[in-house]
Amino acid sequence: MKCDSCQGKATVFYTQVIEGKLRKFVLCEACAKKKGITNVDDLLMGEDLLGNSAPQTKIQDLVAELNQDDCSSCGFSLDDFRKVGRLGCPECYDVFSREISERLPSMHKGGIHKGYLPEGVAMKQALKSELACLAEKLESAIEDERFEEAAMLRDQICKIEEKKGVAES
Amino acid sequence: MMRFATLLKHPADWMMGHGAETSVVLTSRVRLARNLAKSPFPGWSRKKDREGVYLSLREKLELVPGMKDGFSHELCDLDPLQKQVLVERHLISREQAARSEGSGSVVNRKQTLSLMINEEDHLRIQAIRPSLQLNEAFKLAHAVDQRLEKLVDFAIDPTLGYLTACPTNLGTGMRASSMLHLPGLVLSDQIGPVLKGINKLGLAVRGLYGEGTESLGNLYQISNQSTLGESEEEILDRLTKVISDVALYEVQARKKLMSEDPIMVRDRIGRAAGNLSYAHIITSKEALNHLSMLRLGSDLTLLPPDLVEQCDRLFMETQPAHLQWRAGRKLEPEARDVIRAQMIREKLQSHLPPAINLSEKEN
Ligand SMILES: [Zn+2]
Ligand SMILES: [Zn+2]
Repeated sequence: MKCDSCQGKATVFYTQVIEGKLRKFVLCEACAKKKGITNVDDLLMGEDLLGNSAPQTKIQDLVAELNQDDCSSCGFSLDDFRKVGRLGCPECYDVFSREISERLPSMHKGGIHKGYLPEGVAMKQALKSELACLAEKLESAIEDERFEEAAMLRDQICKIEEKKGVAES
Repeated sequence: MMRFATLLKHPADWMMGHGAETSVVLTSRVRLARNLAKSPFPGWSRKKDREGVYLSLREKLELVPGMKDGFSHELCDLDPLQKQVLVERHLISREQAARSEGSGSVVNRKQTLSLMINEEDHLRIQAIRPSLQLNEAFKLAHAVDQRLEKLVDFAIDPTLGYLTACPTNLGTGMRASSMLHLPGLVLSDQIGPVLKGINKLGLAVRGLYGEGTESLGNLYQISNQSTLGESEEEILDRLTKVISDVALYEVQARKKLMSEDPIMVRDRIGRAAGNLSYAHIITSKEALNHLSMLRLGSDLTLLPPDLVEQCDRLFMETQPAHLQWRAGRKLEPEARDVIRAQMIREKLQSHLPPAINLSEKEN
């Protein structure tokens, strides 16, 4: 049997209930370890995976990967990407972002674009990060019941959203 | 529109006008990879989609200044020989030559700009300049990019930059490279460590025709590998610095050879001149290696200065496809070797001094 993640020899088997359905997973030892499932014996033994032995978020990551859907825009699959190292369409970068971001460090000097962006895109990006920053401030203002400040922040957000709308159209 | 024959009759603008600055760095190329936001990449799309992308892009590319009266063809309209000629001219890539329907090439009259439609990406904008002028080549390509972004919705992610079919081109989508002639480093056995050093700096070194080709004629291409995490300016600066260092090593190696072993250098150049002047059968590989020595002789002023340009033209014109195109028919390798030797003899006749002059220069 082949590992669901790397096509190597699978030695770790387990089942889990996801959204009311029973699903079976098989992994090789290395992949299981890489995904943070360090206590392999537990997995070999049992089905009650969630909880004690492995950190929960890691397992959720793993489940997400094993359930990886094909790109809904172009039908490209994660397997295709692993085979050819290329992608099917621009949307694939969203769909397979986890796998791609794992590979970027071996290809590039950094993971964030520092080069040229067309004016519209650059401005939209600046507005977006400004909005995110204001939203955070707004949230904490509301939490601390600083309502006057919250109202001001809300106005600011409205204005920027308007600007963003204009930039997009 | 420019015909294929017209394109070939004229040497590219970057092949002309040589001087001291092209003695080591022959050309600089910058290529930008761009894709349409809403279409699958060429390698994952149906023929119908590819042709749709081709037609819509071609229409827009012809709006770029200098493109309308240039060369524009879908690759399936060209025969294999014509495609190979374009590869030898660096106007399309070897990968693109293998594609046909929905893949096309648009080249301006001066052959400084070449736009490839549906290669690995929907669009590749390539600019070529002579000598070490990566920044100028980038400016040319960038101007086309800025013009097109107003007409085309490119696939861009604010964090990852330009989205490309292969993640190795992500970000700037920019591959910049220069072609270097390094006979001094080869003759003095320093080429190995220099190439290793370049690799260590995260840059790629390849032979004459890109990926996986062996180095012929002591010609090497140096290019960036990383396209994400640095700005275009940073990449170009880093590359320019490394290339000028390598060019300096080459000049120093030539000087050292001439002071320590001038007879060996003269012997190599003289033998190359002899072979090229009198051979009646010569392979492409042999021709490139001898032409490299001749070019060196001219750079070292042992041979007339106008020989450099002649060598550079012969580098290209003695390539298999160019040779067959000129002959007007497909030729077996043996027949090519004969025609190649004949062509070189004829071209060099008026440029090479009588053999005795080379040794007279020694005093
Ligand atoms: Zn595995
Ligand atoms: Zn896709």
